[in-house]
Amino acid sequence: MTNQADPRRRSLIKGAISASTLALVASSGLLLPRRLLAHWPSDAFTAETVEDALLALLGEAEVADGKQISFKIGAPPSYAVNGASVPVEVRSDLPNVERIAILVDKNPNPLAMSVDLTPDVALPFKSMIKVAEDSEVIAVVRADGKLYITSRDIAVDIGGCA
Amino acid sequence: MAIKARDRIRAKLKDEQTTVRVLLAHPMHTGRGENEQGELIPAEFIQDIRCWRNGKEVLTIKCGTATARNPYFSFQLTGGASGDKIMVRWVDNLGAKGIAETTLS
Repeated sequence: MTNQADPRRRSLIKGAISASTLALVASSGLLLPRRLLAHWPSDAFTAETVEDALLALLGEAEVADGKQISFKIGAPPSYAVNGASVPVEVRSDLPNVERIAILVDKNPNPLAMSVDLTPDVALPFKSMIKVAEDSEVIAVVRADGKLYITSRDIAVDIGGCA
Repeated sequence: MAIKARDRIRAKLKDEQTTVRVLLAHPMHTGRGENEQGELIPAEFIQDIRCWRNGKEVLTIKCGTATARNPYFSFQLTGGASGDKIMVRWVDNLGAKGIAETTLS
């Protein structure tokens, strides 16, 4: 009843609310690191094959041999008991490493993580990933515009993609 | 009920390199797991982690669902001096945020 009586008043209130929320968000500094909210590459992370994920994440690039990367996964000899937390380690002596991506071939969404480095960061980079089943794990390093790709096989006793 | 864990960060200076280790407290649900009643647990995972040293952004990690529960990261920063402030902030897919900070001793 009152709603119908004065629709203009409603929209005025609505407008006032959204404007003040926006002002609040802006003033709280949430929007300052502007890439923080928007730039999660969902195409790459929801891709279902390694090729699609790589293409979405890194685009076309010249692929070089991955021998200059040292990539370790699991406890030696590349055997993981629990797929829910598999340690990975990427080392490299390559100069100008821009990005590291770690992919698990047989996971529902292969791309596990993508790391953007600045010249202040030095390798090794270590982390933990989930591996659903026995699979190939791929590390991609982009340095000086080239892609260095290397992979390791891993066997898991308990799948870890729950 | 589990005790709510805190995000942890450690930084250490050794051989003119700063080693930073980060352990975030996060369940990292992929959206494919089920609870005891057989219902799907909605996806809840960290998407974006950023690291600053003395206010300068040095590292960005984008995570998919395949990052392990309670994510752990370790990396090196070149150089470093005692008193450096190292800060890590994360955001998950539901908009939850966290900050962990430490000072290099």
